[in-house]
Amino acid sequence: MVDTLLEAIDIHKFFGKQHVLKGISLDVKIGETKVIIGPSGSGKSTFLRCLNLLIKPDRGKIFFEGIDIVSGRVDLHIIRQKIGFVFQQFNLFTHLTALENIMIGLTKVKKLSKQDALRIAKESLLSVGITEDLWNKYPAQLSGGQQQRVAIARAIAMEPRLLLLDEPTSALDPELTVEVLKVLEKLSKNRITMIIVTHELGFAMRVADEVIFMEDGKIVERGSPDKVLLNPEKDRTKIFISKLMELYKMERSRA
Amino acid sequence: MTNLIDIIVNYGPSLAEAFKLTLELSFISFLLGFLGGIALATLNLLSPKHLKIFIRILIDLIRGTPMTVQLFFIYYALPTFGIKLDPFISALIAMSINSSVYQSEYLRTAINSIPRTQWEAALSLGFTKFSSWIHIVIHQVLRIALPALTNELIYIIKFSSIAYFVTLPELVYVAELIGSKTFAYIEVYMVVAFFYITVAFILSEIMEHIYKKLSVQGLTTSLT
Repeated sequence: MVDTLLEAIDIHKFFGKQHVLKGISLDVKIGETKVIIGPSGSGKSTFLRCLNLLIKPDRGKIFFEGIDIVSGRVDLHIIRQKIGFVFQQFNLFTHLTALENIMIGLTKVKKLSKQDALRIAKESLLSVGITEDLWNKYPAQLSGGQQQRVAIARAIAMEPRLLLLDEPTSALDPELTVEVLKVLEKLSKNRITMIIVTHELGFAMRVADEVIFMEDGKIVERGSPDKVLLNPEKDRTKIFISKLMELYKMERSRA
Repeated sequence: MTNLIDIIVNYGPSLAEAFKLTLELSFISFLLGFLGGIALATLNLLSPKHLKIFIRILIDLIRGTPMTVQLFFIYYALPTFGIKLDPFISALIAMSINSSVYQSEYLRTAINSIPRTQWEAALSLGFTKFSSWIHIVIHQVLRIALPALTNELIYIIKFSSIAYFVTLPELVYVAELIGSKTFAYIEVYMVVAFFYITVAFILSEIMEHIYKKLSVQGLTTSLT
């Protein structure tokens, strides 16, 4: 119990009359990597946004470091500093360079000095393989893969306790996907606690401590990657995985 | 032609003096309007729903009445309540309030054009809504709104001529005076037009330069 970083219990969310999340529970221990898979519209992204309260759940509890963060008696902004978020569409600040994108959170939220922020920003950019020639480029001048790596650097520079990644490679072509997945694999090896929504099965096999298959706002199946990805029990999981596998093989054969 | 030269030689200095007053009134109004616009946009962004409705009504009220009427109200009606203001201050108040409302609308349009995801990214880093606005979104908003604000600045310089109605000796007022004295209306108004056009041209060049300088690929210009 001591090393449980985050515990979500019976999370429900409605968008109007639509019941998007129908009781999702999940707990993450320090150093773990959890992978959530599932068809689009299954509520994965909504669930992830509930965890850092970008979306407020309608029912259920979320404990982060033992504190109930849904009750409203906590400072959300302090909690969010400890939970990094990486978006499908990168969402770098369009008017800031790669370096500035990382520094702004450090100087304005963490109140670090400019020199410290600059040092940390450079370190984290280098750690995701963004070299000096790209530091002063604006997001629009970077490739998708570079943008996403900057976005990851921006998140990890804040030294979050937990990193949430919402389909971080879905907007990238296969070649760029590889460079981003390599970075994420490194983070996972370094025992950064992560929850990743992804369709990259090979990646999930390598990094996941647990794979969770979601559909229609519910968890259908969960367990080790071997179990869920290779020997799924439920029919629905089998069909979904086999479709993904087909796609995966097609991409492999093309590459 | 000789008339025009006569007018320039004899009345050039007083017209220039009047134009200085026009510019003073316009620039201060624009600046106050800018601050007011930012304040209104910020309030509108951060306030709860019922306050938003109140701001909306206020904006529609001011936008829906002619500035001349507002100016007359301030200059001629307020003294009834014991508030007596001189022409310059009256015009300044009317123009600033008016410009605040218009500038807040330009800013609101720009705010609406910023994707929700930019806010999400800021919030995820631990920014509050207010600090997301001040440290991140407003910088994008101002870049996008700059052409509209330039328009407003040029507009307000021309619109400052309504101060004529409350006897402020700005450019149009003085021109009218000279015209009635010399009957060289065409020549006087040619000089007046020249003043307005020159300043409008210079300002739009300066603002264009600033716009280009602040422009960021992917925000204010397309990606292609």
